[in-house]
Amino acid sequence: MALAALKPLVRRHAEIGIFLIAALLVLWFSASSDGRWANFYNLASVLQVTATLGLMSLGVALVIGTGEIDISVGSTFGMGALVYLWLALRVDPALAMLAAVAVGAAIGAFNGLLITRTGTPSLIITLGSLMIFRGIAIALTEGFSFSIPYGDRSGATYWALGGGDLLGINTALVWLVVILVVLTVTLKMTPFGNRLLAVGGSASSAHSRGVRVDRIKLAAFVLSGVLAAFSGTLEAGKLGFADGSMGRLMELQAIASCVLGGCLLAGGRISLIGALVGAFVLSSIQSYLVVMGVKPQWFMLLLGIIVVAAAYGDRRLRNWSVTR
Amino acid sequence: MNTLARSQSFGALIGVAVMLAVFTAIDFSGWWTRATIANVIHFAAILGFLAMGQALVIMTREIDLSVGSVYGLTGVAFITLTPDLGVTGAVIVALLIALAVGFLQGIAVVKGQLPSMIVTLGGLFTARGIIYVWTGGSVHNFSEDARADWMTRLLGGELFGIEAAILWLLVIGVVLNLMLWATPFGNRLLATGGSEDSAESRGVLTDRVKIITFMLCSVLAGFAGILTLADRPQTHVTLGELLELEAIAAAVIGGCLLTGGRGSLIGAVLGGFIVTSFRYELIALGAPSSWFITFVGIVLIVAVIFNQKLARRLGHSV
Amino acid sequence: MPDKTPLIQVKNLDLYFGAFHALKNVSVDFHSGELVGLVGDNGAGKTTLIRVLCGIHKPTSGEVWFDGRQVKEFHPKLAIDNGIETIQQSVGLCDNLSIARNFYLGREPVRRIMGIPFLDMGKMRDLSTKVIREFGLRDNVSADDEVERLSGGERQSVKIGRAVEFKNRVVIMDEPTNHLSVREREHVNELALQLKEQGLLVIYITHDIFQVHKLANRIVIMENGEKIEDALTSSMTADQLEEVIRQGGRKVEKREAV
Repeated sequence: MALAALKPLVRRHAEIGIFLIAALLVLWFSASSDGRWANFYNLASVLQVTATLGLMSLGVALVIGTGEIDISVGSTFGMGALVYLWLALRVDPALAMLAAVAVGAAIGAFNGLLITRTGTPSLIITLGSLMIFRGIAIALTEGFSFSIPYGDRSGATYWALGGGDLLGINTALVWLVVILVVLTVTLKMTPFGNRLLAVGGSASSAHSRGVRVDRIKLAAFVLSGVLAAFSGTLEAGKLGFADGSMGRLMELQAIASCVLGGCLLAGGRISLIGALVGAFVLSSIQSYLVVMGVKPQWFMLLLGIIVVAAAYGDRRLRNWSVTR
Repeated sequence: MNTLARSQSFGALIGVAVMLAVFTAIDFSGWWTRATIANVIHFAAILGFLAMGQALVIMTREIDLSVGSVYGLTGVAFITLTPDLGVTGAVIVALLIALAVGFLQGIAVVKGQLPSMIVTLGGLFTARGIIYVWTGGSVHNFSEDARADWMTRLLGGELFGIEAAILWLLVIGVVLNLMLWATPFGNRLLATGGSEDSAESRGVLTDRVKIITFMLCSVLAGFAGILTLADRPQTHVTLGELLELEAIAAAVIGGCLLTGGRGSLIGAVLGGFIVTSFRYELIALGAPSSWFITFVGIVLIVAVIFNQKLARRLGHSV
Repeated sequence: MPDKTPLIQVKNLDLYFGAFHALKNVSVDFHSGELVGLVGDNGAGKTTLIRVLCGIHKPTSGEVWFDGRQVKEFHPKLAIDNGIETIQQSVGLCDNLSIARNFYLGREPVRRIMGIPFLDMGKMRDLSTKVIREFGLRDNVSADDEVERLSGGERQSVKIGRAVEFKNRVVIMDEPTNHLSVREREHVNELALQLKEQGLLVIYITHDIFQVHKLANRIVIMENGEKIEDALTSSMTADQLEEVIRQGGRKVEKREAV
């Protein structure tokens, strides 16, 4: 009886599942790792990984909200990092960040325009651009080195762009929180957000109400590109170097985060905070395996199982919440 | 001419013709050598298996992202199990593993009612993870005995100077084409992709069709992995990485529409030929190997848009 | 009303979907203050025609004139901005959004805070609540409920309520009484008449000639993508019109046999 009372809540907030999972994992990891996982240093590093993966996941969640998919974000992440590192020393870190974000926007526009103008499936188009920009990133790093020596990384801009800590936690987390709030407000409280979800719920209905479906989708892809490139910038700001494989397979982790967080791949129902908690869960598991001395290879195996299990669990939870 | 244009492989045929013309024009001496052509055809044949499997799955309106990992896993299983089971035993068990992966993915898609993209994405990770955990990153090799085994030569040898992989592709290609176009199962497969509801309303067990198709796709990918390793018996953990992208590219270039129900196995093989040719021609022209990925991406996008326009012109609703 | 310029004028309209010829040289005028019944069998082209009028489909050739100006660009937004409200059969509501959010989709009222347009949820809720009460939705349905929860009749009521609320110059109803109970159907038909009395153009699409004959002052019959009849209800009885539909069907069969 008590469970039945939860149904309306679950129906509206599919992300509840991931919150529970996250809480249980944190308890389990803390209890079983003898302080190796639940210490400030390790948690700070988990949060840093969460921040970069989370920013990317937010963009992917928006695209999923329109009923499309963007799997090019891993390459966009890499391109963002490379552009930032290339320009930060030569020009100025702030301008370098803007240039990286512009490149991300351009990749997003490339995807969005091709998809909306030709009506081709986004899976294939973004698969194509995933490969195009991965190839370009590797080719670039074969000829040039992309790094900023530690000594040159001083100044407020470097600090703010992932290169420093605030209260012991990487500044990327601050960006994540700010962007999460802005995007959540946009999604829930503005006409743009209303239309974005409408497009994902039923593109033809949205179209019949005068919504410019193509523009909304294009905007979502551009946002996704911007967030992926910005997240690449923050990662580059932390590491200070990058190679051509930077961000590889991250597109898959980002999609996994979204599915974990209760975003429906069919579109129209997404949770930004859920996607973020999904990213947190993934990075927590990864770090748990590391501190427990489990071979990192297991992470990939687990990731595969988690993705399918999450999708299945999400489906069951939804089905349960709509039964009487 | 009209029938030709209506066949789904029309785009791929044009693609092959244009590509050969361009390669001939820019690099006649480098391209038309026995070594290049032999290499291209050998690897195109391997990719052809993956592409045909992918094409079948796409025709049922699903997608299989796991084929690269299944290719690697089956290949690794084949090599690793040979010392214990002998070559023939290892081939059988490795193919059973591939079948099992396909079966599990098919079950998850139809019984769990999950998008195949997510399920096979999980399959991609899981199978790759198993490779890492199983081999621990080490390299395995074939013994001399195993190399001389009749099974190894049947899979990796030559006949009249033609590599076994090519002959296998011809045989299996003919069988699959017959299955698709001349059997009730093929008819049901196309119906499932074209309109699942209608197929179901006529009593087609669409769930079963999909599961079988996923199993076919995985076993074809696995067989391609075994063929590769029978020819060059050495494993590495990254075996088959990114191959799923090439397989999807080949199937899409070959005229498979992601809206399901339409496609061509011959087109998929030709698509595989195009993708492989690009790889070799880029290497021959001295481009860095990474450009290959970029080119496959571009070819994929151009092909999907071209095929879509072609299909719309023919009046299909896509 | 032949002296007035028509509000909507369709001239020699042709529309192809790929190889399929959906509208064949259709010409028809609609005037303000009319209630026109658009009748035909399934697949006759009624819905396609009104989907051109409300901007969903772009015609392959031919002209559409609205209020004395030729329509060059086709998009639902332009149609809605011009005061053409359409109640579609299959589309119009997004299952994943609440009633209030669906109600104002595409022209959401905003309240600017520091220049940023925020949804005016209060206004959205109030008006959509008023409308769903007027249309007699279940009492436990609130404006914040997702459309997914609604029955077919309730969905139709929301769509009609929205069109009436935003009424401007033209209201197009595509099979508005499908899925409705007898009481709801009478309510809808009454509304259609009221709108006409207020001087709006109402285009009422149905395959039930007898139902619309009582309501409309003019009937346009379509068959196989063509207009085959355009008559005032005062000049032909419903039985006569039904015979026209039958004739049209036979004519088509003959042609296909050749």
